[in-house]
Amino acid sequence: MTYIEVDGLTKRFGDTVALDDVSFEVPPGEFVIVLGVSGSGKSTLLRTLSGLLSPTEGEILIDGEPMIEPRPDVAMIFQQHNIIGDMTAYSNSLSGGVHRSGFLSSVLQLQDTEEKHRALDALDTVGLLEEAEQKARRMSGGQQQRVGIARALVQQPSVLLADEPVASLDPGSAQDVMEYLRTASDDRDLTTFCSLHQVNIARKFGHRFIGLRDGKKVFDGYRDELTIDVIDDLYGDIDTEGMFVSDDGDADAETDEVATT
Amino acid sequence: MTTDTTESDGARGSAGVGTDSATDPPNRITEQFENIKQTRRRRALGWLGLFVFLAFTTLQAFAATELLNPDARLETFRESLVGFFPITDYFGVIPFLDVGRYLEFIREGGLLYDPEIGGLLFQFPPNPADIYAFFFLELGIFQIFGEAGITLAMGFVGTILGFPFALVFGTLGSERVTPFPFNFIFRGTMSFIRAVPAIIWTLIFIPFLGLGPSSAAIAIAFDTIGNLGRLFVDELEEIEDGPIEAMRTTGASKPQIVFFGMLSQVRTAFIAWTLYIFEINVRIGVTVGVIGAGGLGYVLASQQNLLRFTNMMATLLAIFLLIISVELFSQRLRSRLRSDDVEMSIWELITGFPRRMADSMLK
Repeated sequence: MTYIEVDGLTKRFGDTVALDDVSFEVPPGEFVIVLGVSGSGKSTLLRTLSGLLSPTEGEILIDGEPMIEPRPDVAMIFQQHNIIGDMTAYSNSLSGGVHRSGFLSSVLQLQDTEEKHRALDALDTVGLLEEAEQKARRMSGGQQQRVGIARALVQQPSVLLADEPVASLDPGSAQDVMEYLRTASDDRDLTTFCSLHQVNIARKFGHRFIGLRDGKKVFDGYRDELTIDVIDDLYGDIDTEGMFVSDDGDADAETDEVATT
Repeated sequence: MTTDTTESDGARGSAGVGTDSATDPPNRITEQFENIKQTRRRRALGWLGLFVFLAFTTLQAFAATELLNPDARLETFRESLVGFFPITDYFGVIPFLDVGRYLEFIREGGLLYDPEIGGLLFQFPPNPADIYAFFFLELGIFQIFGEAGITLAMGFVGTILGFPFALVFGTLGSERVTPFPFNFIFRGTMSFIRAVPAIIWTLIFIPFLGLGPSSAAIAIAFDTIGNLGRLFVDELEEIEDGPIEAMRTTGASKPQIVFFGMLSQVRTAFIAWTLYIFEINVRIGVTVGVIGAGGLGYVLASQQNLLRFTNMMATLLAIFLLIISVELFSQRLRSRLRSDDVEMSIWELITGFPRRMADSMLK
């Protein structure tokens, strides 16, 4: 069964081709990681999936409906968090569900109790229930990103898109944020797209991997197919082996497996 | 290695040529020297021309302002200055500024304190009925400050009434909210309001509300729409796209995107600008008072008509005190709101006062 269907997706900005005839199908509940160097089209792919950009050619079907403009069942998490610094973590979380209430009730925070519990529940999922009343601006980068995840969850989406959610975080916070993202996605049965450029984190958290280079899809496969050769192909001639060793034991074992196959 | 030596030889050779011909520099040097000389001469001529033009224009402007043959009356001016700064002899011998006469007028004219209203609040033992009357019957919070209170209230009411309109016009005037040609409906309206100074708006509202603080307050409110709204538009140009995109992906409606994605980014800035406009509005309150709208400005104008210069100076001192207090209050609050704002020292507040007063006269 297919949940997301991308067919011949091409996106051009003037003369620049950001995405070139990308096609794939994703069944519901998969945790997909999009890999590629900067400028390979990862962000463009996610922004097109979210409806923020419209495709130049091709089509995106999510749950059988074409994705033309942003809609509530597709939530997005951004590299720069994009939460509202002047509001508390709770208000930010609550703002994910404004599409279910009118203008005045959302501005004055007059939503019903169920909605407010949902916002707190989302904060609990990302481990920030205690910090609910804190101003978002005063939180650390990792915490801000978790508020961003909470906001996306309150939206009650079926698809979660994360555009390099950990690129601006230190390694520790990056691990945390990815844990929370993975947990939230598993608990709520969300189909998740996450673009990353840390290969070690990608291997640890992903089910399925889509590799982009110069806007073209060059790899699409599951974890056991993601060999060092594939990584080399994606990232060019860099010392990728170091990335595998730096990971914890679990990933190391897998790397060895990959190496032997 | 061989190439290295030839190169350094060559360099030495050319340097040698340079020293040899020091008495008679090569052509390219003299050429460049002539070039520079000519450029400098041309520039000097340009400056001279500009100076002559400016002098000539200034002369014409002097003629237009009748400063060429002014009707100067030094004697009258000297007399008025004596009025402004009354001198008394302490112990019959030491001449000194008679501050007592200022204080006397400030008290008699009720410039800073209205004893009739204040008497309700300050009595011993306190009378609950009078205190109730002060707050709820006489509504005396502003009136207790006498004429200064009226001026302050004009600025306050003007800011409060103008703010919601400024918010609506400022938001709708932003290109991100209203698409390009249509946002100019709102920007244009604000430009028109700004083009007319507050003092003229007061004249326009006199037939409606009569000559008094009420028409002044409405005029200041109008002025606030133009000025504060413009500041809001400018502030909205600075915001980041991120939160707007984030709100779009939540499936929020257009007004919700504007409120959560845009306005929540500029909330602190908007409060700070509003306080700044309040500061200016109190100064405008003084200015419009001069044409008869009441408050300290009116006292100033009427004392001037009576040629009571000492009283005029006393009123000026009261104005000074009022404006400085408002500015101190607003500056402190604003610098607390936006920590990156540089705090103005008390000295700057006092020395910069005449310029800011002049600026707000023109608004």
